[in-house]
Amino acid sequence: MNDRIVVMEVARIEAAHLAGLVGQFAELLRESAPEAGDPAIARLVPSAYSDDEDAAREFRSLTQADLLERRGSDAGLVLASLQEAAQIPDDPDDPALLEQVELRLDPGTAQAWLRTLAAVRLVLATRLGIVDEDDHEHDDPRFGVYDWIGYRLDGLVAALDHED
Amino acid sequence: MGMMSAIATPSVDEEISRSELTDPALPWQTVVWDDPVNLMSYVTHVFREYFGLARADAERLMLAVHNEGHAVVSRGPREQMEMHAQAMHDYGLWATVRQEPR
Repeated sequence: MNDRIVVMEVARIEAAHLAGLVGQFAELLRESAPEAGDPAIARLVPSAYSDDEDAAREFRSLTQADLLERRGSDAGLVLASLQEAAQIPDDPDDPALLEQVELRLDPGTAQAWLRTLAAVRLVLATRLGIVDEDDHEHDDPRFGVYDWIGYRLDGLVAALDHED
Repeated sequence: MGMMSAIATPSVDEEISRSELTDPALPWQTVVWDDPVNLMSYVTHVFREYFGLARADAERLMLAVHNEGHAVVSRGPREQMEMHAQAMHDYGLWATVRQEPR
């Protein structure tokens, strides 16, 4: 189904913001041990057994490290694909900030993007305390970031699922 | 009992505690739970891609998760259900494994 190259057009300034956000995500993965109890990390490796603690523990011991390691390598792929586009000048008035750049994502990289954007939203939602679909504070700029990542994820899904 | 248990010989004690929890006659299930974060389009995409479902079937399953709060996405041997749950976690979906309720 998904052996196509996905072409995504972003402004350099957006690419730089994306790289910044995914970089923070990668840093969180590196620095927050799952045992430390960060709820955002916990959401990435949820319990697979709701009523059997022993089975939940065993499942976790077999899967948690792999899942988190793959999150890290996904984030690395996304950052690598953004590296060139995210080069921006220091001058905030430089028109180069708005220059549109094409990102060409091969199937493996596009999958890494999907999983990473979905995971970044899960982390943001945990930080924002979103427990209900209607939890949304329009005045809080962090919700703007959450919506923006959702918009990019939705667009990527549409590009991958498009049937021609 | 886990994914790599086939060659392990459980002790008698483990066998007793395990048999209290599970009924060998009942099949296992992977269940995906609704959450307020994952986009409907993304969940549909995951079901299509991972389970190889047609778009309409994937959408029906996604809507079942969304409207009912959860849906059984697969039935079969326990090890396989754990594999599916891990794959769902890899996509960021919240999945659990259970025996079919009596």
